[in-house]
Amino acid sequence: MSLLVVKNLSRRFGPLTAVDDVSFSLDAGTILGFIGPNGAGKSTTMRIIATLDVPSSGEVLLEGKSVVARPDQVRPLIGYMPDRYGTYDDMTVYEFLDFFARAYGLIGAERRERVDSVMEFTGVTGLKDKLTHALSKGMKQRVALGRTLLHDPKLLLLDEPADGLDPRARIELRELLRALAAQGKAVLISSHILTELAEIIDTCAIVEQGRLLVTGTINEVLARAAAGAPSVDVVVQLSGADEATRGRVERVLLEQPHVVAPTVMHDTLRFRLEVGQGEAPSPAWVDEACVRVLRALVLAEVPVKSFQTREHDLEDAFLSVTKGRVQ
Amino acid sequence: MTPAAGGDRLDSWGEALSDRVSPIVVKELRQGLRSRTFAVFFGLMLVTCLLISLGFLAAAQPGEAKGPMAFSAYFAALALVQFFVIPYSAYRSMAREREEETWVLLTLTGLGARRILLGKLGSAVLQGALYSSGAAPFLLFSYYLNGVDLPTILVALVAAVAYQVFLVSVAISVATLAETKATRAVLHFALLGGLLVATTTGVGVSVSLAEEARSLWATGGFWLIVSASVFGFASTGVLLFQLAAARLSLSTEEYARGPRLAMAAQLAGLALFFVWAWADDEKIVTLLSGAVSCAYYVAMVGVLVTADRDGMALVHWQTGHRWAWHKPGALRGMLVGWAALVVTSGVFLALAVWKAEASKDRVLVFVAAPAYVLLYTSAAQVFARWVPHGPAQTATLVRLMLLGLVALGSSVPPLLGSIFSTSDDLVLNALNPVLGLKNLDRRDSVVLAVGLWAVALLFAGWALVVLLRRDTEPAE
Repeated sequence: MSLLVVKNLSRRFGPLTAVDDVSFSLDAGTILGFIGPNGAGKSTTMRIIATLDVPSSGEVLLEGKSVVARPDQVRPLIGYMPDRYGTYDDMTVYEFLDFFARAYGLIGAERRERVDSVMEFTGVTGLKDKLTHALSKGMKQRVALGRTLLHDPKLLLLDEPADGLDPRARIELRELLRALAAQGKAVLISSHILTELAEIIDTCAIVEQGRLLVTGTINEVLARAAAGAPSVDVVVQLSGADEATRGRVERVLLEQPHVVAPTVMHDTLRFRLEVGQGEAPSPAWVDEACVRVLRALVLAEVPVKSFQTREHDLEDAFLSVTKGRVQ
Repeated sequence: MTPAAGGDRLDSWGEALSDRVSPIVVKELRQGLRSRTFAVFFGLMLVTCLLISLGFLAAAQPGEAKGPMAFSAYFAALALVQFFVIPYSAYRSMAREREEETWVLLTLTGLGARRILLGKLGSAVLQGALYSSGAAPFLLFSYYLNGVDLPTILVALVAAVAYQVFLVSVAISVATLAETKATRAVLHFALLGGLLVATTTGVGVSVSLAEEARSLWATGGFWLIVSASVFGFASTGVLLFQLAAARLSLSTEEYARGPRLAMAAQLAGLALFFVWAWADDEKIVTLLSGAVSCAYYVAMVGVLVTADRDGMALVHWQTGHRWAWHKPGALRGMLVGWAALVVTSGVFLALAVWKAEASKDRVLVFVAAPAYVLLYTSAAQVFARWVPHGPAQTATLVRLMLLGLVALGSSVPPLLGSIFSTSDDLVLNALNPVLGLKNLDRRDSVVLAVGLWAVALLFAGWALVVLLRRDTEPAE
């Protein structure tokens, strides 16, 4: 049985439907990316799961317990990190974590050990005596993550944790989340930084205007996006292309059927292969078209170093299923 | 035992103690004592008290009673921090929790709104105790300057603590009211003004106490007034505290029990005060005042306690014990308020009829007072829903509507009466909650009382239908 089950969840605020009949589940040890534009209902869904709001209809079960009927039993299972980290500026890192450990009911040696282990895990032990307002954003975020781990929750809800972080901090966050998943924790993470998410999540759910558009493992979603895409991107690397070569490339490509929007910049040639009339290209069709174009380039003595179709990534999947609608 | 071992034992004892104390108290004390505010004001208070002492020592003459003046000066120095600085710090601390959204994180730890607020209140009292301990030697010094006795000093210090608890409760409650930046700014300035007035009043009372204590203590009604004041401040503090906790609770929590119990306790206290006074003077007008005061209390305080956001209690209607008195919801709250009204009105009526042998016109006043409450509280619920507003604004709107209706109902009929007949016209003022009662007392109109009850019951039924719909349907 899944750790978290969200069934037909809806939340209305007057005429606005922030969450509209959303259903998904999450198993222990997996990371689910919750993806959607601003106002898609991600934070509202997370707040409902965190027992901070109640649904207009539908159900959320954590270990089989309803977050509405049994909030007291559900809260100890959840570690929630909102998009604002929420730290006390005039407290040191240790005092901050110690305070929340006390608030979670940990006492004596158990509390001290727990705070120490969390600081070690999140890599802030060296900063324990520093005031939280003096920390960088990345470090503040680590402290906030540490706070969510103090009571050893089974489910982590992280709302836009990578927002505003520098590349190093993002990579470090990724490593921390992977380690947490390896410990058996389920992680529900929302983010706009899709390239970062793709590398850490196991499953993803794409939402727009409160509705869940796609859900599944990352490979399933990418395959679905690739299957539904009307074109294939091709990238060709040339070797020492001069002005004459670039002109020759353009002439060759213009003669080729199904080639759309060719551009040559320095030694990189890009174009799309389209079947036309919105039809999705089959793998066999793509192979055949690529062979034809490559042969024409070689025959025209274009110095081709590499020729490859670009794999669909999470951004493509996101763009292919959403329509850019906000509410 | 070596000094090191003693220190370790002290550390572990402190650690064990801190484990038993609310984490909020530990946090607030840590933050409070480390802050510049504490260092500055504690230092300033001590320096001021020292300078006052030196001044009085230099000016002391043999046989002269300078005690009351010195006591007032020391108390003023203490009052500034106890009645202004500490409540204001408590307000800032609470407001910051909401602004920085750390409140949500605290709630999720399972502490609950009530325990968090209690922690804030407790730490404010402890900080007050620290300031008091700094000022206590100086206050005792005023005893040696003659003219003020030790019981007066003790009563003043105890009363100061009670007053501080009340002011901190007010400050924390105010911090929970603001939802927008604009209201936050308005409330901020209102609180600053209010605390200044409260501090001045506190100092004024202490000066009177120091100078008049001996003669006041000999007065018969002194202890009744002191008891009533202490009960009034304490119960209002508790009520405000419970209201604040309810306002901050999550909708899945049973947030209505505390405010309803606090209201019931205060109402019982108010009723007992009048019964006590009646037992002393045996005048029916005392019972009448009690009945009317309790009825109007239910209207004004009840609407604070029982109003609820639309749809917020939906969860509690979907689960068991739908009609339990303590469950949240405007409908249940309204019924609890009305039940309290019936009980207190019934007690006063029974005493008036059986023990004081009230006349028929007086009985009509006893009977009519709750009808006005029923009418106005119901009408406020009904009319507030006619004004377009968000679900979260309903409670405020109902309160404003009640005040508006009472103001209109009390002022417009006499105005119309003065144009068309007389300002206290019986029919025009039939629904006037002030003149209507007065007319009943003088004119013995059974028809008016029956008509009033008919209108009140009509509105009450209408209000119940509206509330049932608002409580049990998702907020639009």
